[in-house]
Amino acid sequence: MTNNATSTRETMGSMTSRLSMPYTLTAGKAMGTFLAELGAQRIIGSRCAACATVRVPAQDFCGDCGAETGELVAVPSTGELTGWTVTERGILAFVLLDGTDVPLLHRIVDTDVSSLVLGARVSARWAAEPAGNVMDITGFAIDAESTVGALAPTNELLAPIEQLAYRMELTYEHSYGHFYGSLFDSVKNDRRIRGIRCPSCRNVLLPPRGFCDVCFVPTKDWIDIPDTGTVQACSVVHIEFVGQRMTPPYVYAEIVLDGTATRLIHSVGGLSAEEARSGIVKPGSRVKAVWSDRATGSLADIEYFQVIDGSA
Amino acid sequence: MVAATSRNVAVVGSAQTQLKAAWSDRQHVDLISEAVARALLGTGLRIEDVDFVIDSGSDFLDGRSISNCGFLGAMGAHHKEESRVEEDGLWSALYGATKIASGSASVGLIVAYSKSSESDPNDYWTSLAEPFTQRPVGLDQNAVAGLFAQRYLTRFGVPASALRAVTHRAWAAADGNTFVDATLEMLQDEYWSQEIASPLRRSDMARPVDGAVAVLLASKDVARQIGGSPVWVTGMGSAIDQHFIAARDGATLPAAAAAASAAYRMAGASGASDFDIVEVSAGSTAGELMVLEALGMAEPGKAIDLYADGASPGLNPSGGALPADVVMASGLVRLHEVAAQLGGRSDHAPQGARRGLAHASGGLGMQNHCVITLETS
Ligand SMILES: [Zn+2]
Ligand SMILES: [Zn+2]
Repeated sequence: MTNNATSTRETMGSMTSRLSMPYTLTAGKAMGTFLAELGAQRIIGSRCAACATVRVPAQDFCGDCGAETGELVAVPSTGELTGWTVTERGILAFVLLDGTDVPLLHRIVDTDVSSLVLGARVSARWAAEPAGNVMDITGFAIDAESTVGALAPTNELLAPIEQLAYRMELTYEHSYGHFYGSLFDSVKNDRRIRGIRCPSCRNVLLPPRGFCDVCFVPTKDWIDIPDTGTVQACSVVHIEFVGQRMTPPYVYAEIVLDGTATRLIHSVGGLSAEEARSGIVKPGSRVKAVWSDRATGSLADIEYFQVIDGSA
Repeated sequence: MVAATSRNVAVVGSAQTQLKAAWSDRQHVDLISEAVARALLGTGLRIEDVDFVIDSGSDFLDGRSISNCGFLGAMGAHHKEESRVEEDGLWSALYGATKIASGSASVGLIVAYSKSSESDPNDYWTSLAEPFTQRPVGLDQNAVAGLFAQRYLTRFGVPASALRAVTHRAWAAADGNTFVDATLEMLQDEYWSQEIASPLRRSDMARPVDGAVAVLLASKDVARQIGGSPVWVTGMGSAIDQHFIAARDGATLPAAAAAASAAYRMAGASGASDFDIVEVSAGSTAGELMVLEALGMAEPGKAIDLYADGASPGLNPSGGALPADVVMASGLVRLHEVAAQLGGRSDHAPQGARRGLAHASGGLGMQNHCVITLETS
C-alpha cells in the first residue's frame, strides 16, 4: 500500500487491483508440431529453402527472409552453448543445436554455473511426464561426451497441438491521487460525497478531477453533493454473471446527483422482482442513496439507490 | 515525402513532469494534464488550436483496456481526433509529424506517459514475449539484456567492468537534471554489485520511473506565427528487428541502424557527426553502446570510448533512459529534451548546439527503434 499517513486520520491512498485473464492460445502448424513432438522427445525445426537456414522451434515463415517454410526436419537434441545469462529465475541460454543456424532459447539445468563456457557441448534433459509444452525439455546440461548429431527427415509427424490454455495474472496498486483520494476519504469517514467545479463551464464534476475534461482548465472549488438525484437512464438486469453484487432482477441506472453535471452509474434496489420488472424505475425517477454498513471508501459503500417521492 | 516533411513541421512546445520512482500521490491523468498544460505555455496556442492528439501508453502498465479512453480529458482531446500508439511516444511524434506534413492538420499534440510503479514492470516486459517457447522458459527484459550483453562484450572484447563508465556518466548527467529524481548518491554499493542478469548488474539496467511528457508539433505557417526560433523536424525513420530473441544478432542493432539511416537520408545528413546533441533510450548500459554504434557514432565495439572524461558533451545531456526510463515515453522525453536544448529552454544544453537527434527503443530486448532529427533555423 502507498497510503499517505496524515496526523488526523487514514487517507485513502491506493487500491489493489488484480487482473486474471484466461486465453486459449493457438499454436499454428509448425509451432504446434514442434510442441507435440517434444512429447515424443523429438525436436522439430524448419528449413528455409530461400535463405538456406534451419531454425528451431519450427516456424511457418522464416524470420529472416519471410519465405514460407518448405520442410520440417528432425533436429538432434545435442548442440553447443552460444550464450547464457544467470538470473533470479534461473540460467537462460542460447543453444545452437547440431545442424541448425539459429540457436534455441532455453534453460540450463543440472549444471554448475562455473562450468559454463562458450562453445561447450550440451544435450537436452527431458521431463519425465510430457505436458505438451516447451518445458517437456526441462533444459540443457553440459555434456562433453555428446557426439555431434545430424538433421534427419521427418516421417510420421504427430498431429500439431492446436491450442494451449494460458492465464495471465497481473497485480496493480493504483494510486487514487488527491482528487479521488479526497472523495473516497470523505465517503468512508463522513458519508459525504464531494465533487469539484470547473471555473469555466461551471459544471460540478463527480468524481472530482484536476482538469475539466471538456474545457481543459484546472478545476477549482470543492462542492458537497447531496446523496439524492434523478435517474437519467436505466436498464433492468435479468441475467446472472460473475462479479454481481445483487440478485437479478435489479435495475442498473445512470443517476445525476443533484447539482452535478456528471452521471453516476449505480443500481436502484429495494425493489421486489415484480417492481423491478414493472418499470417503476424510469428516466426522471427521484432516488436517494442507501448506505451500507461497509466503510471501504468507494462508491460501493452505497448499497443501492432507492426511489423516493417527487419523480418527474 | 522527403521534401514534404523536411523543415515543414516544427516542435513549438514541449514539457515533462518530473520523472521519479513512484508518483504515489498522483493518477495518470494528473501527470498527463500537467505535461500537456505546460507544453502549451509560452506558445500562444490554446487547447482549442490543437487539431489532433496522438498518445502512447500501455494498457498492460495502466491495468485497464483501451486506457486512453479514460485519459482523453487530461490530454485535452475532448471531441478531437485522437489515436493511440502502443509503442513509445517517439512513434506517436513520427505519425503526428507525418500527418501535419501531409497538410491534413496544422497543430498536433503528442503525449506519452506511464506509471510502472503501479505494477511490476517485468510482468509488462514478459507479456511482450512469444508465449509458446519464450515466456515459459523464464525470459524477461533483464534476461534478454544479459544474453545480448554477453554477446556484445565477448564479440568485441570489452570487459564488463568498462560498463561502469556508462552508468556513472548517465547518472551524473541525471543528477544535474532537475526533471529527474536520480542522484549520484543513489548509486550505492548494492546498486553496483547486485547481479541481475549476468554479466549485467543493477547499475547496468534502465531504472523504471513514472512520468508524462507532451510535445506540440505545428506546421511551418503556425510555427512562423508563433515566432522565436522554431525547432524543425528534419528527418524521421523507424525499423523493427525479428521477434525471436535467439534469431537476432544480439551484439549489434541493425533495426536501429536502419531507422537512423532513414532519418539521415531524409535530413540530408552525412551521419551521426552532423548532430550536436544525441539523446538515446536504452534498456541497459550494453544496449546503449549498441545504440550509439548503430547510429554511427562509433565503430562496432568502440562506443565505450565516447564515455572517456570530457568526450562527447552532446551525448545524452539529460542522462538518457538509464537513470530514468519511462516505459512508453522515454523516447518522447528524448525528443522533448533535444527540442528544449536546441530551443534555449533547457539548463543542460551543450554550447552552440544547432542539430540534434532523438532515439527511442521499444519491444522486448529493444526490438523496435525510432529516430527523429531536429534543427534550429
Ligand atoms: Zn529464410
Ligand atoms: Zn469545464
